[in-house]
Amino acid sequence: MLTLPHRPARIASATLLALAIAALIALVFWAILDAATDAGGSSRVDIPHLLRMTAIQAGLTMVLSLLVGMALAWALNRLRFFGRDLVVGLFAAAIVTPGMVVAFGLLSIWGRNGWINQVSQTLFGVTIDSPAFGLQGILLAHVILDGAFAARILLARLDAIPTSRLKVGQSLALSAWQRFRLIDWPAMRGSLPGLGAIIFLLAFTSFPIVLLLGGGPANQTLEVAIYSAVRLDFDLTGAVRLALTQIGVCAVVILIASAFTPPPAALGRSVAPTWRDGMTAQALAWLILVLSILGFALPLVSVLVDGIAGGFARVLSQASFWQATLTSLAIGSASAFLTLILALMLALGRAATGNPVLRIGLGIPAFAYLAVPAVVLSLGFFLLVRTLGVPIGAAAPLVVVIANALLALPFAVATLGPPLDAIARSRGKLLRSLGISGWAQFVRVEYPLVGRDIGLMLALSFCFSLGDLGVIALFGTQDFQTLPLLMYRALGSYRSNDAAAIAALLLILTIIVFVGLPKLVERLSHAPRG
Amino acid sequence: MVKFASIALAVLVAGVSGLAVAQDKPVLTIYTYDGFASEWGPGVPLKEGFEATCECTVNFVGADSSISTLRKVQLEGASTEADILLGLDTAIAGEARATGLFADHGLDLPGLTLPEAWSDAQFVPFDYSHFAFMHDSDTMPVPPKNFEELIALPDSVKIAIQDPRSATPGLGLLLWVKAAYGDRAPEIWAGLKPKILTITREWSESYALFLDGEADMVLSYTTSPAYHIFDEDDHSIKAALFEEGHFPQIEVAGILKSSDQQELAAQFLAYLASAEGQKVIPTTNWMFPVVDLGDDLDPSFKDLPQPAKTLTLDEADIIENMSAWIDEMLAAVQ
Repeated sequence: MLTLPHRPARIASATLLALAIAALIALVFWAILDAATDAGGSSRVDIPHLLRMTAIQAGLTMVLSLLVGMALAWALNRLRFFGRDLVVGLFAAAIVTPGMVVAFGLLSIWGRNGWINQVSQTLFGVTIDSPAFGLQGILLAHVILDGAFAARILLARLDAIPTSRLKVGQSLALSAWQRFRLIDWPAMRGSLPGLGAIIFLLAFTSFPIVLLLGGGPANQTLEVAIYSAVRLDFDLTGAVRLALTQIGVCAVVILIASAFTPPPAALGRSVAPTWRDGMTAQALAWLILVLSILGFALPLVSVLVDGIAGGFARVLSQASFWQATLTSLAIGSASAFLTLILALMLALGRAATGNPVLRIGLGIPAFAYLAVPAVVLSLGFFLLVRTLGVPIGAAAPLVVVIANALLALPFAVATLGPPLDAIARSRGKLLRSLGISGWAQFVRVEYPLVGRDIGLMLALSFCFSLGDLGVIALFGTQDFQTLPLLMYRALGSYRSNDAAAIAALLLILTIIVFVGLPKLVERLSHAPRG
Repeated sequence: MVKFASIALAVLVAGVSGLAVAQDKPVLTIYTYDGFASEWGPGVPLKEGFEATCECTVNFVGADSSISTLRKVQLEGASTEADILLGLDTAIAGEARATGLFADHGLDLPGLTLPEAWSDAQFVPFDYSHFAFMHDSDTMPVPPKNFEELIALPDSVKIAIQDPRSATPGLGLLLWVKAAYGDRAPEIWAGLKPKILTITREWSESYALFLDGEADMVLSYTTSPAYHIFDEDDHSIKAALFEEGHFPQIEVAGILKSSDQQELAAQFLAYLASAEGQKVIPTTNWMFPVVDLGDDLDPSFKDLPQPAKTLTLDEADIIENMSAWIDEMLAAVQ
């Protein structure tokens, strides 16, 4: 029988937060339906076809990303080399970089006129058909984004395997395969359902990448149809109907993911490994790493190269660039802290209860933003702000912070949830017998153990806010401009060199945060306290 | 930490709203698309030019597209702050007119040099261009001369176009094909299908594919080459002129009935369509001016080849059939 510390306050606050998020989403839909004037046009969308196509694409993306992510996390956990932190940061940066930037990075490598084709043409005089368009193009881009993200999250789980456990394994002379099966797999398994759900939902609702690389309407998502219903047809009732369909499908995925109870995993601090696998396993790890760098890191490197070629000077001398940078940093910091609070409330509450229904209930709201189409959320927020009578200009930053926090929430909960669950399950009895308060439990037990994860989570949500421009469309004012918005405006004004430079600077900023922030927070969380 | 976040927010909100202007002058609020209001767009010089004489403050508010500005005004209804909606084009002007939200501008506009005669009680045109496929004359010295020649090219030739449901030029191409081929439109689309590299959400994405060399041609405007001539001294990017004629994009602005600044708004529209206002348009919005600027027209525009024939479609026809035409196009390229 599982013994958990008695924490009614944690469960209550998590429940309240879950209800608040559900209420917010309900309000968004209510506001849109309220504004819909007509009975709604005829929906011209072949929903079953779209659902089938999207489910296949999202399912393949999920399976491939998880496999690639596990392989890469395993390789990175085993290998130590110069520049490892930078490589880890670069991989993690993929998911928070605006999708368009990654997609164009992919094309610079794999496109008809990309690096690979240029090399092959120079060396062999052969042009390879570009694999970057069609379903395989979508999958390639999605796996670059999501596989590398999965690797980063899973690497954190592997790095948290306690040294004592590794020592036992080493003394038993486990083979590389046994070590993976008995030590690594249990550590990663708990994160897979949440990760899988996130990746599925991201791919299911992906929009610009699917249109850019999909090659035409044969590859589409419901999100495109919803976008068109809101903007071109102005059929708000139809848009709500489509959005609810999307939410329904996403809910099934979320329910399945939330129903899993992660297996107890021990936690600890990792030190540089002294336990080396055999030669074959080491060679395999290097192979995986080199392939991943070629596949994942090169597109991002090409973004940097294009940016440098575009010329930083022109961009850096613009006042608007610095203003946009400051706005982005402020928005990023505010949403990162808000995300941390929301994620801790949900994850601590969820870890404190053994009731399966409540656990599912508390797991769902984290995914709200992924299931609700961005254009619907943007429209709903816009209408709500108007109903409340707040000036649009003043509300824009607040709305963007809330939206960004909701966007980062599933990632944050996926990062913090499994380790907090593991603590409650493996040390529940001890905590209960100590009779310490919830606060003391957090400060003395949980915070030191999940410090690394909190740093990773802060970096994730900070960078998500840097890269996102989903909800701001209707709120746009000239004075409120974030870096990605500036980038898109430059691209829309023919200034592709400026756009490339901004994309590169955004990526550099992201990598700095990803390398620096987790280290900083880990150091803080292990600082001696009196 | 809650406290920190709320302080950060408060500072942010204060910072943004602190940019409010002196309130003793009347404020003219203009909703437009992002590109127009951005620092590189015509919004900045037009604001400066008009404010010099109007004793007022011009406030441009950008949305992600011109369709979005219309939707925003429709949602806000009579309570909207907007006095003017700027940036609608011929493809959606009819739908905008049908909302009944627009007032008559009451302006007499002599001397317009548009490809078609202009007599519109609600909308004032401020720039135009024709939709056209761009090609790089270094890699494609001889472009196709019509849609059928484009279709007859080998399938390795790729074009990038935009989704008519999300991008104005995408919609423009749809109307272009319809105006040129009528009932044969599905046949043309089916012929184009193997050439279509991809159909992007926005113009900027497909244009980037073209510049990166991923696509041989991209749907854009006959005036696009002017940017490359003006900013990069690159004369290799050209618009391919088609014998069928080209569909134009004429961008317009209109005054909202709900505005309490009718007179000021009309003055702005008159300024917008005057030679003085038009001077800033070509090298900021990369479109042709609607009046003859003479020597004030930048040289980069002077030698741009212009289509011999401008195609048109009836406004009522567009409103009634747009959805069906989009379905027809999507089904043909599926």
